[in-house]
Amino acid sequence: MDNKNFERLLLSVQKPGRYSGGEINSVIKDKSKVDVRFAFCFPDTYEIGMSHLGMKILYSLFNEREDIWCERVFAPWIDFEEVMRANNLPLFALESRDPIKDFDFIGFTLQYEMAYTNVLNMLDLAGVPLRSKDRADFTPIIVAGGPCACNPEPLADFVDIFFLGEGEEVDLEVIDLYKEYKKEGKTKAEFLAAASKIEGVYVPALYDISYNADGTVNSVTPKGDTPATVKKRIIKDMDKVYYPDKFVVPFIDIVHDRVVQEIFRGCVRGCRFCQAGFIYRPVREKSVDTINNQAKALCESTGYDEISMSSLSTSDYTEIEPLLNKMLEWTTEKYVSLALPSLRIDNFSDELLEKIKHVRKSGLTFAPEAGTQRLRDVINKNVTEEEIINTCKTAFKGGYTAVKLYFMMGLPTETDEDLKGIADLGQKIVNTYYSMPEKPKGKAVSVSISVSTFVPKPFTPFQFEPQITRDEIRRRHEFLKSCITTKKISLSYHDSSTSFLEGVLARGDRRLGDVVEKAYKKGCRFDSWSECFNLDNWMDAFDECGIDPAFYANRTRSYEEITPWEHLDYAVSKSFLINESKAAHGERTTPNCREKCSNCGANCYGEGVCFEKR
Amino acid sequence: MKNVRIYFKKMGRMKFVSHLDMTRVMSRLIKKSGIPIWYTEGFNRHIYMNFALPLSLGYEGTNEVMDIRIIDDEYPLDKVLASLQAVCPPDIEIIKATNPVKPTKEIGFADYVLAFDEINCDLKSLFADFFSKESVTVEKKGKKGKVKKVDIMPKIKACCVGDNTLTLQLVAGSEDNLNPALVMDAFFEIFGLEPVFYTVTRTSILDKQGNPFI
Repeated sequence: MDNKNFERLLLSVQKPGRYSGGEINSVIKDKSKVDVRFAFCFPDTYEIGMSHLGMKILYSLFNEREDIWCERVFAPWIDFEEVMRANNLPLFALESRDPIKDFDFIGFTLQYEMAYTNVLNMLDLAGVPLRSKDRADFTPIIVAGGPCACNPEPLADFVDIFFLGEGEEVDLEVIDLYKEYKKEGKTKAEFLAAASKIEGVYVPALYDISYNADGTVNSVTPKGDTPATVKKRIIKDMDKVYYPDKFVVPFIDIVHDRVVQEIFRGCVRGCRFCQAGFIYRPVREKSVDTINNQAKALCESTGYDEISMSSLSTSDYTEIEPLLNKMLEWTTEKYVSLALPSLRIDNFSDELLEKIKHVRKSGLTFAPEAGTQRLRDVINKNVTEEEIINTCKTAFKGGYTAVKLYFMMGLPTETDEDLKGIADLGQKIVNTYYSMPEKPKGKAVSVSISVSTFVPKPFTPFQFEPQITRDEIRRRHEFLKSCITTKKISLSYHDSSTSFLEGVLARGDRRLGDVVEKAYKKGCRFDSWSECFNLDNWMDAFDECGIDPAFYANRTRSYEEITPWEHLDYAVSKSFLINESKAAHGERTTPNCREKCSNCGANCYGEGVCFEKR
Repeated sequence: MKNVRIYFKKMGRMKFVSHLDMTRVMSRLIKKSGIPIWYTEGFNRHIYMNFALPLSLGYEGTNEVMDIRIIDDEYPLDKVLASLQAVCPPDIEIIKATNPVKPTKEIGFADYVLAFDEINCDLKSLFADFFSKESVTVEKKGKKGKVKKVDIMPKIKACCVGDNTLTLQLVAGSEDNLNPALVMDAFFEIFGLEPVFYTVTRTSILDKQGNPFI
């Protein structure tokens, strides 16, 4: 399609800037001079995908290589999809506007299960057969990575290669192997077989799954000499790993429009519901100098005036105060502000608060996750009510009047007492505010409580737990609502049906591939967008495939049961997860990695917090 | 501290960037350029910028105007120009940096070129008919959603039909402004025509006397 007609189409849709490309720091290469063209797809809108740090890292890493041209692709919003289909415009990459079906690789990052239908929709818009067995040509090779790759089974029929763990090294190893095999005229099957020998590479077609009469997995059998288990890859030295000195700076407003500076990977805490806390182990930090230099270079190349520190728990960074001091030396004079998301309550000091105040005052957000101490012990969220109240006091003294609290509902062993505890905690914070003579003058306090529904995830101690049913979710919502008696507290919660579907897909097996495809063909896409989500279509799809979603979401799984992800190794051992599950039911907490090693298995890489001096 | 007037082109892929997004893009380019820019003194300090005449989404501009302030009076204008040119993406081109002569409230008119796939004889004669009318009243949505009736003819200062292009000189500025889309909508409606596709380029901004705005 020529430029003029293309632009005409763009002018007929909302937010054409999503599809125009040409942003500052986007990479244009001469396609005749590269060997490998890689379409990096984020299966959601431009605004969400462009906020994703992993994509920024891999985009720049690939493009550092002269022989690779990596381009960005996002899911077109429904208005533009309609225009594309009506005009036979195949899915294209933003930089070159070339159709991605002609690329060597089409790669997806799988950040959440609710994007699965978008993956299929994007393949279809590209004009690529959905199932890997129907793709006879060598290219494009469909690859995928990201947190959902830890149980990618629902997408196993569609994707040729999954990358487990961190991609900076393994992705390039696979691309190099591809170059070699392409040059030698080998087949796709030969390439996939060879790729499966690389650590961190999972080729699902090379594993046969058999099932028991009760529907559980009986066995996972590798074909030929394919490795029996696939182990995730990690980057060992965070000071040496590649980090971009440029970000593509979008023209239109996106969700996180700022410098994102990674400070460490992993989390020492071990909250039992948190998948990220287990699959990104072990904790590996960047040094203060590395972080400072990288952030400075990014500010200079982008013109951003805000830096956000990225990690799972910012205040657990061992050198947080020296880091802030060092960065404030230049950020203040350049009018660059610092944001510190993911702060934990228990180590939120007066000094730290003072430092953030230096920069910009925004709301305070805490995540106690559960309303009572008993339940916080079950989930291993080792914060006490006293700590929460004390932190709020400090914050109120510092002039804050709004507190946002995140909770989860439907956690294992949760009772109505625990739910009432959420409302009580909110009330105690309100009371604390009014009991303080030094509270900000003439201002009311506002406590917003946001409740999400707990979804059991693979590779967590709660992977064995049933998710509560949708009816029960609704009952608990109503109950919690009835416990809140003041207008100072506002309550919001997530839709019960998306949490249910997320629960099904998160611990699903290969048989769900048919369901995902059927749901997609019934029009499901953008399932994480309430205006697009249609549970009825999904339920019809389950029905037509003869699959009961409750089998995946609402059933207690025994410790002995073979999980659909049994052959994938994320370094934390199953016996550790079982011990943690038992501790949860015994209401016993586990110390964090820095206090005491609990032998989860992540020390196998020989790096990180496991080898810090205690 | 002194004001600097920047003239620039907003072309190609940049036409999909709205005015609000454009302000953000420009502030980042300025920050990246390293020129000694002046920040507002308020609680939330930001780069001071003043766009003379916002450009609608979808339009290109070949001579757009933006005022900024730099804190160093001695800082040479050609250095401002070179620093900004060095950081711009392909579809933004900085043309010149000057000392402003007139305040932006002196803006009176703007020239637009509308490009059609084809202006055939029929269309040509309809244009002639349309632009010879004494008065054409259209409904214009103001701020707060109020609809008011406006006669657009006195606001069209000049028009010229060329090969597949229509050039219009329209009233422009903060007090009174006519968007070429409003003219074309009225044109299609009066003759009961199905609207056809055209692109819009603003080629110059003029003062109240009809001279280039400087």
